[in-house]
Amino acid sequence: MIRVIRLLLWLLVLLAGAGLAYLALRPAPETQPPRGMASLGGPFTLVGADGRPFSSARLNGRPYAIFFGFTHCPDVCPTTLARMVRLRNQLGSGAEAFDILFVSVDPARDGPGEVGAYAGLFGSPVIGLTGSQAQIDQVKKQFGIFSQQAPDGAGGYTIDHTATVLLFDKSGKFDSTISPEEQDPAALAKLKRITD
Amino acid sequence: MHRFALLLALLAAACGGEPARPQLKPTDGWARESVASQTSAAAYFTIANNGTGADRLVGVKSEAASHAMLHSTMTQEGAVRMRHLQGGLEIPSKTAVELSPGRTHVMLTGLKAPLRRGEKVKLQLQFERSGRKQAVIKVLDPLSAGRQESR
Repeated sequence: MIRVIRLLLWLLVLLAGAGLAYLALRPAPETQPPRGMASLGGPFTLVGADGRPFSSARLNGRPYAIFFGFTHCPDVCPTTLARMVRLRNQLGSGAEAFDILFVSVDPARDGPGEVGAYAGLFGSPVIGLTGSQAQIDQVKKQFGIFSQQAPDGAGGYTIDHTATVLLFDKSGKFDSTISPEEQDPAALAKLKRITD
Repeated sequence: MHRFALLLALLAAACGGEPARPQLKPTDGWARESVASQTSAAAYFTIANNGTGADRLVGVKSEAASHAMLHSTMTQEGAVRMRHLQGGLEIPSKTAVELSPGRTHVMLTGLKAPLRRGEKVKLQLQFERSGRKQAVIKVLDPLSAGRQESR
């Protein structure tokens, strides 16, 4: 009986070992754009930090990264923007030609002044954008972005939202995404590709 | 060595010796600089428990904000959700629990003033067993990835 149990235990150890080996050796999951992502993006008009219309035509010929968030977002949004700026700095040459767009999904609280001041925290490569609710809804649809209000536990609200950064090449074509879990080398390789 | 320690612990428990006690120390607190229009910010720190018993962080207060809450960030199908950790945060014995970006943080809402780079904010942490402890939060450059970087 004990021998049988011992054998079974050894089998379990083997199985666990095989599982670990698989986890360690499997290729890193490539963030493949889901179907339909190739058509993401396209021309849009929002409102810039100066309160004037911001047309996507201004980006023509320049690659860009676009991230949707809100200025009252304390964790994921500043973490993502700070990371994008750090990655941009690591890129070295060619980095000047690439913009980081921050679009608010909370236009009720984020006016031009709010997005401008917030983007300013991270330095000049970040362009803060907002707009009317209709403009934001339209752009969210174009870029495949989800967002939804949720109570914050302190009587206010927070917003559940897509935290994936979308990358577009200089012809305005969707290239790839950077997810929060993705390691820096993989993210850098994508940024290199769109800025080359 | 491990086995010996375990044996000793078992013996001590069997003899009704010292009860397991947590021994907590909050360290490496930091937050990002904020601007006037932001009413909320996240604070991060590490709680080291060098004791033999577990504890639980059950509440947070700060003079810098009207509310301070433990929040966790979860990602589901590419979307992030931030939720109040209503049951608090377990601090097992002999471990250090790190609150870090994209995972767990203290959410400060109703900030009384923007957080300025270089200043320090105090958090009062309430633990189930250890009572009150203070965490000192250093305000860093918004581009910072954490406290380690600032050393």
